This record gives sequence, C-alpha cells and structure tokens, in this order.
Amino acid sequence: MTFVAGTALLAVVTALACALPGVFVVLRKDSMLVDAISHAVLPGIVVGYFLTRDLESPLLIVGAALAGLLVAVGSEWLCRTGLLTGDAPQGLVFPALFSAGVILVTTNFANIHLDTHAVLVGDLNLAAWDQLTVGGVSIGPTYLYVMLAVLGFDCAFLAVSYSRLKVTTFDPQFAASVGVRTGVVNTAFMFVVSLTVTAAFHAAGAILVIALMIVPPATAYLLSRRLPTMIMSTAVIAVTGALAGFWLAYLLDAATSAGMAVFFGLIFVAVHVASRLARHLRHRRRAGRTPAPVS
Amino acid sequence: MTVLEFFADHTYRMVLAGTVTIGFVAGALGSFAYLRKQSLISDVIAHAALPGTLVAFLAAVAVAGTGGRSMLVLITGAVLAGTIAVAFANHVARTSKVGIDTAMAVALTVFFGAGMLLLRIIANGEFPGKGGIQDYLFGNASVITTADFVTSLVVGMLALGLMVLFWKEFALRTFDPDQSTALGFRAGVIDTLMFTTIVIATVIGVKAVGLVLMVAFVVTPPAAARQWTRTLRGMVWLSAAFGAVGSGVGAWLSILLGTVPTGPLIVLTLFAIFLVSLLASPRRSIVVTVLSRRRARAALKRELTGEGANT
Repeated sequence: MTFVAGTALLAVVTALACALPGVFVVLRKDSMLVDAISHAVLPGIVVGYFLTRDLESPLLIVGAALAGLLVAVGSEWLCRTGLLTGDAPQGLVFPALFSAGVILVTTNFANIHLDTHAVLVGDLNLAAWDQLTVGGVSIGPTYLYVMLAVLGFDCAFLAVSYSRLKVTTFDPQFAASVGVRTGVVNTAFMFVVSLTVTAAFHAAGAILVIALMIVPPATAYLLSRRLPTMIMSTAVIAVTGALAGFWLAYLLDAATSAGMAVFFGLIFVAVHVASRLARHLRHRRRAGRTPAPVS
Repeated sequence: MTVLEFFADHTYRMVLAGTVTIGFVAGALGSFAYLRKQSLISDVIAHAALPGTLVAFLAAVAVAGTGGRSMLVLITGAVLAGTIAVAFANHVARTSKVGIDTAMAVALTVFFGAGMLLLRIIANGEFPGKGGIQDYLFGNASVITTADFVTSLVVGMLALGLMVLFWKEFALRTFDPDQSTALGFRAGVIDTLMFTTIVIATVIGVKAVGLVLMVAFVVTPPAAARQWTRTLRGMVWLSAAFGAVGSGVGAWLSILLGTVPTGPLIVLTLFAIFLVSLLASPRRSIVVTVLSRRRARAALKRELTGEGANT
C-alpha cells in the first residue's frame, strides 16, 4: 500500500470511529464535553508515563482514557451537587487537570520529549509513519489497525447497548422508570467516548478529534428526523468528508488535521445554509398557495 | 526573596500586574457568562482568538511592512474573530435544531483549525517579527511587556466601563430575557454588547496564560463567588476579587518556585478557591447541604416518634 493511500485510509477509519459515538454525544447535548475530554488526555498520558516510564506503552492510552472519564464523571458530580448551573462544571474540571499535567511535565520530565505542542496538534502523517509489513509486503500503517480495533469496539458497544442508549438519550426519566440503570449507561458511554478520543488523538490531534466527533453527526442531525437515518448519514458524511478533506489538504499542501477540521466545518455551514434556504422557499410557496383573506 | 526585591524586578512586576488585571476583568465579566449558562463560550472565544491574532498579524505586516506585533492590533483582530465565532454559534443554535453546545463545538473547531492552517503558513513564510507568535497558543506570562500591560489594562477597563454603563440592561437580559424584550430593549444589541465584553475579557489574557487555560479565568471565579452571594453586584465584585487574588497568588508562587509556568499555577490556585467555596461557604455549600439535610431528618424523626408517644 502506498503511503498516501494508507494515510487516507487511516483518516477514514478514524473519522468513522469518532463519528459513530458522536451521534449520541450530539443528541445528548454533550458536545463540549469532547473538548474537555480531549484536553484531559495530556495529564492522563503524563501520569501513565510516570508509572510505566515507556512512551510506547498501551497503558498510556488507558490512563488517558481514565483521565477523560474523570472529566466526564467529575463534571457530572459537580452538576449533581445542585450548586452550579449551566455548562460551568466542565469548564471547571478540565483546565485544572490540564494545568496539573503541564506542571508535571515541566517539573519532572523537562528533558524528555513530551512536547505539549505535539500532544495538542497531532499529525496524521506522523501517525501513519510506522508501516506494518507482513511477509515483506507493506499492508498500511500500524496505527490503522489500532483504529480499526477501536472502530470495531465502538460498533460492538453501540450494537449491544443501542436500545438502552436510545432511551436514556431521548427520555432519561422514562428510562429510569422502566428500570434502565441510567447512571451505568452514562458512565459506560462516557468511557467509550473517552477511549475513542484518546486513541484518535494520536492520529488526528485534539482539534480534528472534536471536528470528527461532532461535525458529521451535527450535519446529519440537520438532515434527518429518525435515529437510523441520522446514523447512516453520519457515516456517509464522515467518510466522504475525510476523503475529500484529506485530498484537499494534500493538494493545497496545508496542515492535514487542521485542513480537514476546517473542511468538515465548511460542510456543516453549507448544509445549514442550504436547509435554511429550503425551509424559507417552502414557507414562501405555502404562503403563496393560501388564498388572500376576503376583505 | 523579600517583598522589596520582588517589586524591584521589572519582569516580576509586569507578570504580577498583568495577571492580576486579567484575573480581575475576566472574573467580573465571567459572572455574566456564568449566569447565562454559557461559560464555555469563553473556550470558543479563546480558540477563535488564534486565527484573529494571526490575520491581524498578517494584515499589519502587509500594510505597515514591518513588525506586526503591536498588542493593540493583535487584540483587535482577536476581538473581531472572537465576536464572529460567538455570533456564529448563537446564530446556529437559534436558527437550527442543533443545540448551543454543538454549535459552540463546531465554531471552536472551524476557527481553531483555520488558526492552525495560518500558523503553518506563517511558520513557513518570511515575515518580520514572526518569532514568538506561537506564545499565543500556550501563553507565556514572562513576556508581558509594559506596552502589553497598558494595552490590556486600557482595553479591560473599556469592557468594564461598558458593563457599568449597561448594568441595568445586562442584568435584566440575564435574569428575565422576555421581560427585557417586552420593555423594548433590543435583545440583539444587548447580547452583542454583553458578549463583546466577555470576548474582550477572554482575549486580553490569551497571550499571558494560553488559549487552552483562559477558560478557567472566566469560569472558575464566578462559580466560586456564586456560593457566597445572592446579589448580582456582590457576585461581580467577589468574582473579580477572586480572579485578581487567585492570579496574584498564582503568579507570585510561580516566581518563587522558579521553573513552574505561571498560567497553570494560577488555574490551580483558582480551582483551590473554588473547591473551598463549594465545600464550606456558609450559605450554599456541600457542608451546609449535608448539615441541613441531617437536621431535617432528625427533626422529622423527633416529630414522628414524639407523635407516636402521645397517642
């Protein structure tokens, strides 16, 4: 497989792995939580490194996912105290964790290459650097298989808990009354989101992870009225957006992750404007058809 | 280090004065973002400040030829970009079924992504005075110059002046938007003014503390202040005071400790103030809730057992 094809494939798989859980994130009105979780990855990685002393260890991903979960659970706990309003709880927890991470890095690992810049920005091309070869033939970037595993895990989780997720998302009170353990479902879902963000982070960087998780579902939400339709259109938008965005960034020689994030944003804006226009036209036509009131 | 030695050093003085100003302004104006339940808008603003700053830098280089590093020019660009991002998020939330949280996330990624694209262009190109432009990403309090400090002081005072001038309108719009509209105040105008002040409060701190952490300056002091007070005036004053004191203590600690960066230490100081407020403020806090619940339970028990004894 050529390098460009492998990297493009990595982009597509990462986009799918992020966008599918993103459907429920958007429907639960938790979009900014993804931003919060993605910033908690840094302290998670630092603490993980503190324990393992190995930058390649898979435990780092688990540590980072746990830190992301800490943000989700912590802000939910702050919400439940009833002493805070609005979206403040998320904004309280993640800067504190991020600060702790930065301080840990500067005081303990000043001589080790754990660059906050690289952690925040991420790069598809760097993530695709390590190629997996089987019998002397390159079969694509190693990280592609990591993301494939994450995608499989996400799909399995969504398939198994689809009905429970659906009912807790749309009508949490009803869900609780029929005996669904909403707290458990929430925490499990948040862990899956956190794990996906963390894994995708290495491939895409913070900014593209948020874009991949939020923008395709948000765009699909504008276009659909039923959950299965929304999931299908999310998948289509994620794949085509990833391919087109990657190709455009490659063509314009722009930063890949940032270019793709902007491209996804432009798709959303275009669909939003188009659907507004369509609605406007429909109203006009309907208004034209009604007879003028008799005076 | 004695206090005198501390204040004799120009850099230390600037770091302290700069961060205290940022903390004060962000704390005061953050109260309105908090009460409108849109605290995270400051995170969107901080991220949108990056492309705004960079476009202003490029424009200044193109027009003036050299040195596009005037703080005022960069702040103007950041304020404009921040205001556009806020307007975009609020517009999408109002005119489509997408929620405000999702609209904010979309605005954040688009603007920050554009900023990263511009950063790559600037890094690859030949521009006079481009060094240190990435300080805007992660913040560096030790590079606050006298001009920076004066600019953020003046711009911050401008935002606070707007708040004082439109105090009545802001308060009414925050607590009773329908009544405000019914009385004939233009919702759009007041919202634009209010969010512009919040944008200014966020933007003046990005260079010193970085765009990731700036959200803490806007969210944490009001959340702490809310636990101590029940009036808007009290909340704004207390929140500004928490912001200023937290920033001062954090900056002072970071100078004492030497190698520890200023922004993160201030954020942790603010977080500590918040935790103490949440746990133990005498009016609204976890301790008070637990105590009153226990008291109510005991009273109920007494009532029930007392009744049982009488009949």
